[in-house]
Amino acid sequence: MTAEALEARPVPTADWVTIPDLHRNPFPIFRKMRDEAPVHWVPAVNRYMVTSYEACHIIENDQEIFSANETNSLMKRAMGHSMLRKDDPEHDVDRKSYGSVLRPKAIKEHWNAIFQANSDKYLARLKAAGPGADLIREYAAPYAAENLRLIMGFHNATQEDMQRWSQTMINGTGNYADDPEVWAASEQSYNEVDDAIDEILPYLRKNPDSSLLSGMTSMPIPLEAIRANMKMTIGGGLNEPRDVLGVAVWALLSNPEQLDRVLADTSLFPAVFEESVRWVAPIGMYPRETTRDTVLEGVQLPKGARLGVVVGAANRDPKIFEDPDSFNIFRAKKPHLAFGGGNHYCAGAWVAKASVAGIALPQLFAELPNLRLDPARPAVDAGWVFRGMTSLPVLWDSK
Amino acid sequence: MAKISFHHSDGNVDVLDVDPGTSIMRAAVTNGVAGIVGECGGQAMCATCHVYVRPEYLDGLPEIGDDEEEMLDCTTEERDGERSRLGCQLKAGEAFDNIEVDLPASQI
Ligand code: HEM
Ligand code: FES
Repeated sequence: MTAEALEARPVPTADWVTIPDLHRNPFPIFRKMRDEAPVHWVPAVNRYMVTSYEACHIIENDQEIFSANETNSLMKRAMGHSMLRKDDPEHDVDRKSYGSVLRPKAIKEHWNAIFQANSDKYLARLKAAGPGADLIREYAAPYAAENLRLIMGFHNATQEDMQRWSQTMINGTGNYADDPEVWAASEQSYNEVDDAIDEILPYLRKNPDSSLLSGMTSMPIPLEAIRANMKMTIGGGLNEPRDVLGVAVWALLSNPEQLDRVLADTSLFPAVFEESVRWVAPIGMYPRETTRDTVLEGVQLPKGARLGVVVGAANRDPKIFEDPDSFNIFRAKKPHLAFGGGNHYCAGAWVAKASVAGIALPQLFAELPNLRLDPARPAVDAGWVFRGMTSLPVLWDSK
Repeated sequence: MAKISFHHSDGNVDVLDVDPGTSIMRAAVTNGVAGIVGECGGQAMCATCHVYVRPEYLDGLPEIGDDEEEMLDCTTEERDGERSRLGCQLKAGEAFDNIEVDLPASQI
């Protein structure tokens, strides 16, 4: 045993943590855990939960000890073995197959116009539904889904298909209870996505465009990898922009002084976006597995330990962020971990920023005068592995 | 061993000896040098490893690649037409044996 390991303390157990409590509001639980130790064994979650910023940051930057290639991964079963569950060099091959599709130049040249058209379309739908409508159902969800559909090149599917595929496969990745109905729905989407890919690839070979699938037709990448990466991207590229959009609107409407400043200076929308993903990380936790016995920020971990990297907690670590539980777009700028870090750093980060901070938020506040929460029907935020607004009824002055 | 000197915007200097193959970004992140974030782990994807290379070390650096070019237009502190580079794209032993860089006041 090394000197380091001898000095390290054993992992404390947090047997008081329950999943329903986490689902309702994880932040007081995260705070209590983080105050006690950077890592806990959590029986209800069947993982070691890592809640300090420093420890999450160490994990993200060390794939030798903290592997993304988890054994018995439910994500591999639900979506196939995608880049998100590979380490380098295998991960790098898959990641490179995404080329420049999600990068700023392509966004400027191709995607911004498409995002704008989609925002126009679903804003019209929200307006038609009228004051009192749910901003998530009428606008944020279809907007995020339609953007992703076109970025990926699923010309043979609808945004409703994208939403269904995403949700059913995500439910599969979280199906720890092994519920057969959840698996059945997840497997049906798995097969539908494979069929849609098989159908569209020949079309895109003849009619190339700027999409991910079109790019794949000229990449030396096996079909198995394409299928898994597309499923993972459906699962990881739809709910997150939807959720940050909902949280950002909710946070601004709940903080009128900050809203006034933003309305007077729309160049603040990027800061609204960054603070929203910090405050409520859309992906609150993601997995890693130790490849050997190790010591993480002074705490001992055995080889094969299944970790939950709780960036939703790290983003509220008071060692890094002053007054971390408050939403404050003017706080001192510090790098948050909502997009992960290291080699799995979110491939869609620029897309999310462009579509949400660049287009959706400014347009919503410009076109819905006196946008406000509906006092009769309070907004609902929920979740912890994924967190966002499950409903956001809003009012505005319609002419 | 190669040498990297980081000149912070407040005038302080950190000097590191690094193994060949280590990028400026990786050296800073693993040694806790403030002023470089390196969110994307070196994939020329985040522009949080921006450095200004001191003029006397510009000769001999590799050309700016397409991805790096694109990211240099996304930096928080203004790009310098001559001296701006991504720290993750410059590796010891390949791009330099000895280099001095100025760090921007902010990366995010
Ligand atoms: C606010 C919105 C978003 C957030 C907060 C977010 C968050 C994340 C996080 C935390 C990871 C790393 C997970 C891990 O390391 O296990 C990740 C990876 C990824 N994200 Fe996002 N994401 C967002 C939007 C998107 C969008 C819009 C797309 C696609 C267009 C996308 C595509 C991906 C892909 C492909 C990966 C895997 C990268 C890799 O393994 O190298 N994301 N995202
Ligand atoms: S580390 Fe992200 S661009 Fe260099």
